[in-house]
Amino acid sequence: MANIRDIKNRIESIKSTRQITNAMKMVAAANLRKAQNRIIKARPYADYINQMIQTVKIKHSDTLHPLLENNEQEQKAFVIVTSDRGLCGSFNYNILKLAGKYLNENPELDIICIGKKGYDYLKKRDIQIIDKHINLFNEMDFSSSRDIANKLISMYLDNNYGQISIIYNEFKSAIQQNVVIKQLFPITPPEDLEINLLDFIYEPDPYTIIDELTHKYIDVEIWRILLESSAAEQGARMTAMDSATENAHELIDNLTLYYNRARQAKITKEIIEIASGAEAINK
Amino acid sequence: MDNLKLEVILPDKIKISQEIDHVIVPGCDGDLGISPGHTPLITKLRPGIMKVYTGQQISYYAIHDGFLTIENNHVRIVSETVEEKKEINFSRAESSLQRAQQRLKGDQSDTDFRRAEASLKRATARLNLKF
Repeated sequence: MANIRDIKNRIESIKSTRQITNAMKMVAAANLRKAQNRIIKARPYADYINQMIQTVKIKHSDTLHPLLENNEQEQKAFVIVTSDRGLCGSFNYNILKLAGKYLNENPELDIICIGKKGYDYLKKRDIQIIDKHINLFNEMDFSSSRDIANKLISMYLDNNYGQISIIYNEFKSAIQQNVVIKQLFPITPPEDLEINLLDFIYEPDPYTIIDELTHKYIDVEIWRILLESSAAEQGARMTAMDSATENAHELIDNLTLYYNRARQAKITKEIIEIASGAEAINK
Repeated sequence: MDNLKLEVILPDKIKISQEIDHVIVPGCDGDLGISPGHTPLITKLRPGIMKVYTGQQISYYAIHDGFLTIENNHVRIVSETVEEKKEINFSRAESSLQRAQQRLKGDQSDTDFRRAEASLKRATARLNLKF
């Protein structure tokens, strides 16, 4: 049986690990609430843009816009959204597993990384990455997502990609995240919205409005995806840290049992030694 | 006549949602006064000042970009930034105005004129609220 002092040291070290995982769980829970709030607050803006783009598109289907159409280019790009930090369970693994499968089927894809974990993972495997956005989740605001959106838009228009898709974790609940692959370009706005068929006057003209709306749509779409992903990340981290804390508890219980056993064995041994010593003197 | 309902929607919140009498916004082809009963309209906005009239009160906002739609006396503005006077850092606006002017004066070919111009207009819109 291990030395009593060794067991005691291990117990102490597991206790401090438990303290850390427990604290991380609390922090993740607080961040999760914040992220959920941000998702809710971003909704009116997104809904409005969606509704407008749909209205204008139906009314002016003859006004073609390069972001809404197929441009018949072969080359495709793929955006992979992971987290910047680890210790969040299978959050990144799920994404990278599915992304890996997708890449095997479509080896010609150009890859763009959002989030440090995915970037590190793909770089280690010598997979070419044409663009990266890392360390942004910590202080994320709308302008950071707008920068990414602008870059993607000009990539789509200049480099003549035929399609750009994105893979990310969708926030379902604190314990559930779904990996989603979605097409960003050409833009396909959701169809099931209430359409406004009033006869609007357009100023200056429908094309300018569509142009602006599509840009805003991508801005807000990226923003939504980043918010979803960060909420999902916090949820995953919270669950992972919760079970880590639980496991630490169990380990401590087991080790304490061992420790007490070892201590008892030691005392028993000492008593036997004293008793047999006394016996020897009496003889 | 009915009142107008004004809603200003930003990416992270609904900034204004109230009944108003009248509003003047900087439309892309010139300032636009909107009173109840206005015909349905979608317009792009340019950086400028929005004046909101409620009763005896007039409030001023600096607005940078975005859209406005009117339908059934419901005015909705989506924009990335709409600021009240007390939210604006005027010294920062001042310095960004100077920076933008500097960039537009220099004739380096790598200057992004559209961005410089946009930031010039934004700074001007902010500074116009100062008085």
